[in-house]
Amino acid sequence: MSGASVKVAVRVRPFNSRETSKESKCIIQMQGNSTSIINPKNPKEAPKSFSFDYSYWSHTSPEDPCFASQNRVYNDIGKEMLLHAFEGYNVCIFAYGQTGAGKSYTMMGKQEESQAGIIPQLCEELFEKINDNCNEEMSYSVEVSYMEIYCERVRDLLNPKNKGNLRVREHPLLGPYVEDLSKLAVTSYTDIADLMDAGNKARTVAATNMNETSSRSHAVFTIVFTQKKHDNETNLSTEKVSKISLVDLAGSERADSTGAKGTRLKEGANINKSLTTLGKVISALAEV
Amino acid sequence: MANVPWAEVCEKFQAALALSRVELHKNPEKEPYKSKYSARALLEEVKALLGPAPEDEDERPEAEDGPGAGDHALGLPAEVVEPEGPVAQRAVRLAVIEFHLGVNHIDTEELSAGEEHLVKCLRLLRRYRLSHDCISLCIQAQNNLGILWSEREEIETAQAYLESSEALYNQYMKEKLTEQERSKRFEKVYTHNLYYLAQVYQHLEMFEKAAHYCHSTLKRQLEHNAYHPIEWAINAATLSQFYINKLCFMEARHCLSAANVIFGQTGKISATEDTPEAEGEVPELYHQRKGEIARCWIKYCLTLMQNAQLSMQDNIGELDLDKQSELRALRKKELDEEESIRKKAVQFGTGELCDAISAVEEKVSYLRPLDFEEARELFLLGQHYVFEAKEFFQIDGYVTDHIEVVQDHSALFKVLAFFETDMERRCKMHKRRIAMLEPLTVDLNPQYYLLVNRQIQFEIAHAYYDMMDLKVAIADRLRDPDSHIVKKINNLNKSALKYYQLFLDSLRDPNKVFPEHIGEDVLRPAMLAKFRVARLYGKIITADPKKELENLATSLEHYKFIVDYCEKHPEAAQEIEVELELSKEMVSLLPTKMERFRTKMALT
Repeated sequence: MSGASVKVAVRVRPFNSRETSKESKCIIQMQGNSTSIINPKNPKEAPKSFSFDYSYWSHTSPEDPCFASQNRVYNDIGKEMLLHAFEGYNVCIFAYGQTGAGKSYTMMGKQEESQAGIIPQLCEELFEKINDNCNEEMSYSVEVSYMEIYCERVRDLLNPKNKGNLRVREHPLLGPYVEDLSKLAVTSYTDIADLMDAGNKARTVAATNMNETSSRSHAVFTIVFTQKKHDNETNLSTEKVSKISLVDLAGSERADSTGAKGTRLKEGANINKSLTTLGKVISALAEV
Repeated sequence: MANVPWAEVCEKFQAALALSRVELHKNPEKEPYKSKYSARALLEEVKALLGPAPEDEDERPEAEDGPGAGDHALGLPAEVVEPEGPVAQRAVRLAVIEFHLGVNHIDTEELSAGEEHLVKCLRLLRRYRLSHDCISLCIQAQNNLGILWSEREEIETAQAYLESSEALYNQYMKEKLTEQERSKRFEKVYTHNLYYLAQVYQHLEMFEKAAHYCHSTLKRQLEHNAYHPIEWAINAATLSQFYINKLCFMEARHCLSAANVIFGQTGKISATEDTPEAEGEVPELYHQRKGEIARCWIKYCLTLMQNAQLSMQDNIGELDLDKQSELRALRKKELDEEESIRKKAVQFGTGELCDAISAVEEKVSYLRPLDFEEARELFLLGQHYVFEAKEFFQIDGYVTDHIEVVQDHSALFKVLAFFETDMERRCKMHKRRIAMLEPLTVDLNPQYYLLVNRQIQFEIAHAYYDMMDLKVAIADRLRDPDSHIVKKINNLNKSALKYYQLFLDSLRDPNKVFPEHIGEDVLRPAMLAKFRVARLYGKIITADPKKELENLATSLEHYKFIVDYCEKHPEAAQEIEVELELSKEMVSLLPTKMERFRTKMALT
């Protein structure tokens, strides 16, 4: 594997209508792979710069030569992930940021022309590569799971009627797993696209006065990709299994459990209202 | 005065309260705050019906609205001003509405609006703060402002509001007339106040104070019968871990004993509104908590024993008789001070409950064990809880937890061996450790449980290493060490080598190459492993001189690796100072020894 095993990319989106109507100023600048931020309370202060593996300037529009399109993001990040998966490694990508920052757009994107996000593009290329394969000795299988973590409960998005809370268990050989999570076999990109669509519709999206659509759950889309090589001479088979995990996290402004009254426990200086959280507070003390 | 349609006011207010209490998940999924917004509309209507706020209240300067505003009244003799007359009544009623509006806005994430309403509420109540009708509301409003400011990460402001509530409560309780009854709800408000303060102190890193307030919260829950036994028990047991980390074993024992007693009440006490558990989950939860409480007890026994070992060991980890005598002399002083320490500590329960807790406490020592007998008692108690914990934390389903329990069991044996004087018996204890750890390495998938696997391999290797040293010491005492014991020593050596090698191999990359630069988190164990491998090769007993030479060469190779690596990576040198020194010595001595050997071989 080349270079570092963890890469960090940052992306900035265009203003939305509310920001435009308030004549907001853009305090982010990008140059190469570094991002700098201006202090709006003190514009004379020098901007602070941070280096990342990738800094994606998507604040303007495709006409701007500096603009980072969905395609560009996929080519940099998604393609490499797929390559590693074919080599037999497990890969994972997290999208982190506040509600409305554009996580779901980057991960899933939209159905319109050239607005597909990382996940659909990755799945599409996965099947292209599988179908392009001419080697008789190789055979492939693809299975997907899609789950949501909301209010400390795990829900199967591919089987939302299963109202039960799925338990997370550990098996000595299989490792950690979610009990009874659907794992569906798919044979084409359209299969995956349909499942993703159905799963997305089942996700919990709620509206309050403060946010139009506030995404309150974490969603984990997992592709289990198995490559079997059958050696005709020796008549032996070898198998490589890789897991591709694609995670769309809930709005980071409420990092831990979301939704339920009084069960939040953020890292910040928040106070939990209900005595049902006494246990968590004591646990935190015991860990000091 | 405006004619207030009282019936309508009451009806709307009750409806608003009912809506406020609707649980969020009962709202439509896409509108989680629907009931709150409806409640808010009703509250605004009630507010309008009540009429404008009394005028003189509005003229007060804003400077008096801060958290310290109540304080100046506390220095003066308590003025319990009852809200009598229509003006006062209206002020209080409006205050109630402002309070509920404030909480409503906070619950729907509109902090600024929430703050405004709560501050207005306090302003309206200021004069009647210490009266029977208003005290509870005042404290609740301040508590909520404390929570609000903590959301804004202004923890000192939160602290000020909450401490003001605490002071107000104490002031009120001091001054209250005996005929006024303490309502259950009011006491609950104060319990919450203590709980919020515990969290504030935690964020301010005043951990002892935070633990004290958690302890008080638990105590009050018991006193006011506002608890669910399973939940209370696990909280008390968890608090014991805090005390164990601070080496306050008496307090830890008290928490654990109380946890046992209260947990035993399960099934006899009905759930209160503070209990969140869903119906179907209760039996499983009961067993899980039982296992978790058992694990807290294991840590108690283990830490107490290890603490004793630490204070009585010499520089090679053996029992130092002088230190032991010193501690024995100290014991009398500790027993004398026991009563005074106990009086200062927060005690749970009175009467029957107190007796039940004492009955459990009496069976367990809180003092550091000074000899094998005392250590064995703690060991047996710890082992009892190991079996209890393993009932729930089975390997299929709870791999990490199960292994931690087994590791604790192994640690119990290891620390007991420290107190054991007979070498054969010590060997047997290490053998037990190996027997419980070895199966784990076979069953675990190294890909998923890399860290745990490494820990176990390292521990098994070290156990074999200790066993080997013990057998060598036993052999040294015999006049004629027979071939049987020599074989045993060599077998133990081989086993230790096997596991150290497995551990070192786990550091290799997918192409089986040993890393050029060893990661910081495995640096010390990796270096120690290399050192011990070197030493082990030097200790293989063989009559064949050729073999002996080979072993010495391998031994030298490993000592050289350590010296070379530490030269290239100075940070490693800091991690293993002692072993590095010894390695350097061996690197200079071994070649000569090997040369002498070769010459001797050539001559024969």
